[in-house]
Amino acid sequence: MNLSLILELAKRDITEKYSGSTLGALWNFIYPLVDIFIFTVIFANLMGSRLPGSSSVYAYGFYLTSGVIAWNAFSNTVTRTSTVFLDKKYIISKVKVDLSSFPLYIAVSESITYVVTMGIFLFLLLISGYGVSRVILFVPFIYIIQQIFAYSLGFFVGVFVVFVRDLKEIVGIMFKIWFWFTPIVYLYDVLPDIVKKLMVYNPAFSFIHLYQTIFIYKEIPSLKPILYLLLLSLVILFFAGIIFKKLEKDIRDFM
Amino acid sequence: MIKVSGVSKKFKLYHTPTDRLKEKILRKKYHREITALENISFEVKEGQTLGIVGQNGAGKSTILKVLSGVMLPDDGLIEVDGKITGLLELGTGFDQELTGIENIFMNGTFLGMDKNEIERKKDDIIDFTELGDFIYDPIKTYSSGMLMRLAFSIAMHAEPKCFLVDEALSVGDAYFQQKCMRKILEFKNNGGSIIFVSHDMNAVKTICDSAILLDHGHIISSGDPKDIIDYYHGMILQKAHMGDAEVIVNEVKDRTDHKTPNVSTGEVELLSFKVLNSKDEEILHIESEQVIKVIYQVKALKELSDPHFGLHVRNNLGVSVFETNTYCIGAKTFSLKKGQIAELKWEFFFPLSAGDYSFSVGVANKGYGRDAFEEYLLMAHDIEVLKVIPNSSSIIYTGVFNMKPKVTIQEGIDSSC
Repeated sequence: MNLSLILELAKRDITEKYSGSTLGALWNFIYPLVDIFIFTVIFANLMGSRLPGSSSVYAYGFYLTSGVIAWNAFSNTVTRTSTVFLDKKYIISKVKVDLSSFPLYIAVSESITYVVTMGIFLFLLLISGYGVSRVILFVPFIYIIQQIFAYSLGFFVGVFVVFVRDLKEIVGIMFKIWFWFTPIVYLYDVLPDIVKKLMVYNPAFSFIHLYQTIFIYKEIPSLKPILYLLLLSLVILFFAGIIFKKLEKDIRDFM
Repeated sequence: MIKVSGVSKKFKLYHTPTDRLKEKILRKKYHREITALENISFEVKEGQTLGIVGQNGAGKSTILKVLSGVMLPDDGLIEVDGKITGLLELGTGFDQELTGIENIFMNGTFLGMDKNEIERKKDDIIDFTELGDFIYDPIKTYSSGMLMRLAFSIAMHAEPKCFLVDEALSVGDAYFQQKCMRKILEFKNNGGSIIFVSHDMNAVKTICDSAILLDHGHIISSGDPKDIIDYYHGMILQKAHMGDAEVIVNEVKDRTDHKTPNVSTGEVELLSFKVLNSKDEEILHIESEQVIKVIYQVKALKELSDPHFGLHVRNNLGVSVFETNTYCIGAKTFSLKKGQIAELKWEFFFPLSAGDYSFSVGVANKGYGRDAFEEYLLMAHDIEVLKVIPNSSSIIYTGVFNMKPKVTIQEGIDSSC
């Protein structure tokens, strides 16, 4: 599997979704823009949501945005990677491709969306006067680990989705629950103590929380949780690799 | 060069996709097994073409899938020196929503070309397809022939060392098929190896250097394409007989000492076969454009209610030149009792160009429809070979036979009018 193939697939992935429409690939960025707009303007101005301990009107909107951007990149990468073998059956059953690195194009294409959305977000942070601190230099590092985790998880599930189609729907529902189990819309502080303790076992919390720390509280994040996440990702990747080796022939036969 | 050694492939059939996983986890059997390929070995050297023939389900497509890497064999080794591409089924991995040109980039990358290489070859690829402005349209608007042209062109321009061709080629029109054939031959002459899978026996005979016959995943015969195809026809005969008679495939030595397979159900026997000239002398060669006679005797070993007899003439490549039978001609035949002998006397004009021609005899029972029989009884291939030498009093020509043209030339026509 070569890089040019992954990039070519990623490029098609971004342009294809809206092919035929006049604005084309621009739609990829209009959607997140509208999201950010809703979070900041509607939530802050119309509903008057406030972040405790912050004087800025926009603080809650930005809190929400920082979590949602990271969550979207994560959840889209996992869910789309997990069904990639079924979705791209027409390629896999006709051309020789390396199945293990094939899904990487999804991670790349989601990253492009992420970078652009992040750009818009940073722009809003600056013009609103909320500002950013130098700690955002941690973001690329966090993002890379987050995507390694997303790819490993997606690939792991993807191997099984080929045989158990129901898993695709189960993954969708799991992510809905997972989203609300993670302090993205609400604050970590409002959780009861028992749930707070459980949060240690929520891998998504480990990186979402870092985004919030960096963008909203402008503090230097504790990197321990994300290093645990990296370790977890490598373990999942290792097992995914072993299972994939065992099932690769069946996957190909099954296509 | 392609070298395949001991390749086996079994398919497991499951009721539901989940059973497959259940089996892995519970270690209990949930499938039934189908052997698609068993211990397949062959080699295609540089500049050689191998034909693969066989009935539906013999394992031809599986071989191609394993060779192209889409499927993994259970066992065995495949060695290919260089890239392997091909024209397999329609639209090899094409994306229906993308335009022709986008698919060139997409498919080209799949076939291992990088962006610069595709950019460089793009115009050549498009020129070969002759798609013109259609190349800018989504390929969902293409006809199957257009898709084939695009797929073929990309696969060829990927500079493979080995090329796989299957029935997909037959989708194209005659013009484009010939264009593809020329390209394939050019590829072969430049040292490429080709594997050709087809039901078109004449094409196999014409372009293949050797052939293998597959049946239920086994190679049951390999060698000269002509022999393989004769064997294959024999198998079909056996099948047409619904297996209600045992088929004996034996080697018959004819006068030229050329071994040919002779397929019979043991219900008739070919007693004699003679080729005569107009003076009733037995001949081994004859001048073109003479009348010849073919006489053969067939003995019925069981009662035949409506027997019919055929004659088949083929050239040295094994390509059919002429074939007919008493049923198709509408000749009256008589029923035969067990032990009775029928003598067939054919007389015809032989205007074929110089070369060796072989005669084959077929016997069948109970004709129906336009040209079919309920029972096929005997197919004896290449019983006799007749050498045709040029007729010294004839015109000079090349080709298959003398069409005896009449030409008139009109002089003095003014080009201005």
